[in-house]
Amino acid sequence: MPTLVCADPDEETRAETVRALETADFVVRSVASVADVAAALDASVGCVVTTATLRDGDGFDLVSAVRERYPDCPCVFFTAEAPSELPRGGRGQVVEYVPQSVPHARDRLVEVVTAATQRLTQPAYPVPKAEAERLAALETYDLDSLSALDTFDRLTALMTSHFDIDVAFVGLVDAHEERFVACEGANWRTLSREDTICTHTILTDEVMLVEDVREDPRFVGVDRLEELDIRSYAGARITDDEGNALGAVCCIHGEPRTYSRAERDDLRRFADEVEEQLALRKRLGSE
Amino acid sequence: MATRHEDRYKFGPLPLDGVAPGTNLLLAGPTLGGTRELLLRLLLGDDGVVIITADSNARKTLSAFEQVGGSVDTERVRVVSCTRESDDDLGPFVSAVGSPGDLTGIGIEYSSQYEQVYARGYDSVRTGIYTLTPLLVYSEDVRPVFRFINTVTSRIRTADGLGICAIDPSAHEEQVVNSIAQPFDGRIDVREHDGAVELRVQGLPDQPSEWTPLPALE
Repeated sequence: MPTLVCADPDEETRAETVRALETADFVVRSVASVADVAAALDASVGCVVTTATLRDGDGFDLVSAVRERYPDCPCVFFTAEAPSELPRGGRGQVVEYVPQSVPHARDRLVEVVTAATQRLTQPAYPVPKAEAERLAALETYDLDSLSALDTFDRLTALMTSHFDIDVAFVGLVDAHEERFVACEGANWRTLSREDTICTHTILTDEVMLVEDVREDPRFVGVDRLEELDIRSYAGARITDDEGNALGAVCCIHGEPRTYSRAERDDLRRFADEVEEQLALRKRLGSE
Repeated sequence: MATRHEDRYKFGPLPLDGVAPGTNLLLAGPTLGGTRELLLRLLLGDDGVVIITADSNARKTLSAFEQVGGSVDTERVRVVSCTRESDDDLGPFVSAVGSPGDLTGIGIEYSSQYEQVYARGYDSVRTGIYTLTPLLVYSEDVRPVFRFINTVTSRIRTADGLGICAIDPSAHEEQVVNSIAQPFDGRIDVREHDGAVELRVQGLPDQPSEWTPLPALE
């Protein structure tokens, strides 16, 4: 079972909550402050349970600290306070909430936490319907060895000159991040999934066009795109033989840009080439 | 602990087959075209009901629910109002958040009301959100809206509830609506045609995929 963090400054209440979670076979790290949570966090943590008030801040300070490092990590408020007595959270701090006042509150908490650790329940982006199958397919590839391949580097270099654009990349979208296995024109390694356009591109089999990020309601609020000078985007989804979406092959430019029908067809051909290479690597790996 | 429900959610005289517990449906239709009435009719039954209203206050919403045949039994019917309209103090079965932009507050009040209904023995709960459009309009960044919708639909799925979330597709770009539709199991389109309200269903088997008129209220 995944590891949880349980934050509550009241030792007696916390011990009772931890006991309920441990009885459900979770491994629980028990803390009393926002600072303690920061120290207890790592990639193995599947959910954070917190009360509204901690020794050095409130529950939403804790949510900020968690999501700054792990944006997809589900957070659950488990408190004795009524909603009207809770501190006010920011817009992006949507959490689950289980009041301690309801009967069998800890049973309810275990149910909510169990669901939160079994699949993505609080991501700030749309998740494909076949996400579990998609991730299982992605795990069959050795991403580190793909990153070392010259083939994708040559292909993305060719794309930047062909389309006369600033950046071209091949990105694979894993559970929480996009990993750039080749990137010409920038030194990007990973990006949180909620900050990527590709997490939308993998939802469609059509070439995804964002002619001007500042004019697109899905991306205008994503500061990270502005920081990376991503003003326009064109991306073609990469799938495996079973149709699982693995990632995208993309064109980036620092200015608004349109793509003609012929250019979109060319981008699709580049993506087809990447798909063939991935299929070949997979066959070689299994022999 | 919750047990897995066997009974499907049924919709009385509406031209829809019952749906499995844990189903979330996106209801796409114009604000003034019968969408609200259909959403409220989909909430009818003996189950718990939690309505998140973002277009009119709690009193008007409850009145509209009664007009379609709903009974405002405060043991099982709850409202989270997030309009800017003032809401009278109707009692603890109504929570007022005050703004469709306060997604964190709406989520917490929703969970609280859900738990209150559940604690009264209603382990099948129908949730209606009318509508997602103001939530999107009030958000410069669409990501918190995705987080909110994923959180609410996950709770409904986990608790074997039923979720009906309305959106006015004409108020948003098509790509936005398509992205919003991802966590939903199916989509009900609504339109007004020759003076009648019609629906069709996408994404769910054994449901009308062609435009089908709604029966008039009894």
